[in-house]
Amino acid sequence: MTRTCWWLVDRVSRMLEPSEQDAVRGDLAESGESGGQALRGVLGLVVRRQAALWKDWRPWVVLVGVMVPLGMALSIVSNLTAGVSATYLWLYANNWDWALLRHAEFWYELRDSIAFIFMRCLPLVCWSWTAGFVLGSKSRRIVPVYGILFCLVLVFGVLLGAPRYLAYFFQYANRPLSPNQNDPIFALAFYREIFPLIVQAVLVAVPSVWGMRQGVEVGRLSPLVRIVLWIAAIGTLTMLVIQGPGFVFFLHAYWLQRISQGWQMRLLQIVVYWPVAYLAASAILRRWHGRIPTVGVDSL
Amino acid sequence: MLGEFEYLLLTAAARLGEDAYGAAMRQEIEDATGRGCSIGALYTTLDRLEAKGFVKTWMGDPTPQRGGRPKRMVRVTAKGIQAASEFYAAVTRVSRGVSWEANRAGVGP
Repeated sequence: MTRTCWWLVDRVSRMLEPSEQDAVRGDLAESGESGGQALRGVLGLVVRRQAALWKDWRPWVVLVGVMVPLGMALSIVSNLTAGVSATYLWLYANNWDWALLRHAEFWYELRDSIAFIFMRCLPLVCWSWTAGFVLGSKSRRIVPVYGILFCLVLVFGVLLGAPRYLAYFFQYANRPLSPNQNDPIFALAFYREIFPLIVQAVLVAVPSVWGMRQGVEVGRLSPLVRIVLWIAAIGTLTMLVIQGPGFVFFLHAYWLQRISQGWQMRLLQIVVYWPVAYLAASAILRRWHGRIPTVGVDSL
Repeated sequence: MLGEFEYLLLTAAARLGEDAYGAAMRQEIEDATGRGCSIGALYTTLDRLEAKGFVKTWMGDPTPQRGGRPKRMVRVTAKGIQAASEFYAAVTRVSRGVSWEANRAGVGP
């Protein structure tokens, strides 16, 4: 129990500034407090510190203007991705036959299915990572709270349904007269309720928190690299908004067609994958130089 | 005007002098008041006092009994001494003619 408490003290105290973290841990060691007392003390300090940060107006602007819209947009896309993936998963998992393995066509089909699902999931991971990166770059000290709040927004989005504005009406007006061919899949509670949660957790929540941790480091990079990263992040998040069902509905079909066929859209579709390039470059340069700032100094 | 806890911190720092830092000040306050002093209250109040210019803090050298971790050293500034003196004078003035011992004897069970 005591060991667990001290482990928690160590984890919680990381939410403090590095210098204060050292001073507080030193004070606790010197005063010979029990693990429980130390944990209570550190928690109290962290809560006070976080509460002080929220007295400023900026975190509230980020919460309302960035976090909630991004969380909702990611929830919508995550739900759509879960829907498409569920169809393929059901096809293989619920209709499995070992005899299939002997057919070459099965392997071709499996390869195509995996490639299709991967290409649906990768942009979602990149969007989530970018959203986290943007939030993380705002303030190092507030990131843990941002992480918790962002996960709550995601849970809210997936459990209560992220608003799709007029998309529901649009779908209703164009609803098929015959039953949807995928209805049997979503009649199963796992694909209807559990699978979207898993997709949300794995493809959105985890990459977002990862992106936040990376975003914290952005201050160490050179101004030029920061500008490039911000442009890439804005482009990626623009792509997320543009392809969302709510936004598409509001766009006139003429403009939608022009946008989707333009070179700008094709460029944005590539820019979306910038986190992959960024992480690969960071990993390579870290291995070569043993520190992150070299991404900014040496790569450009 | 200082708050009660701010005054306690300034007094503890002034009493400890060169040895004023987080853990020592907590001990001093707990000994004087007989109440617990949370580390959260201590550090957030220290920040407030520093922002007001009443104390100056800096990171001291690491010591072995603290697991090699540095102390946050505290020194009361001239402005802090002035604020604490005014607070003490105000408390003394407002307490003139009031005997808490006599009142306690009258009110007590």
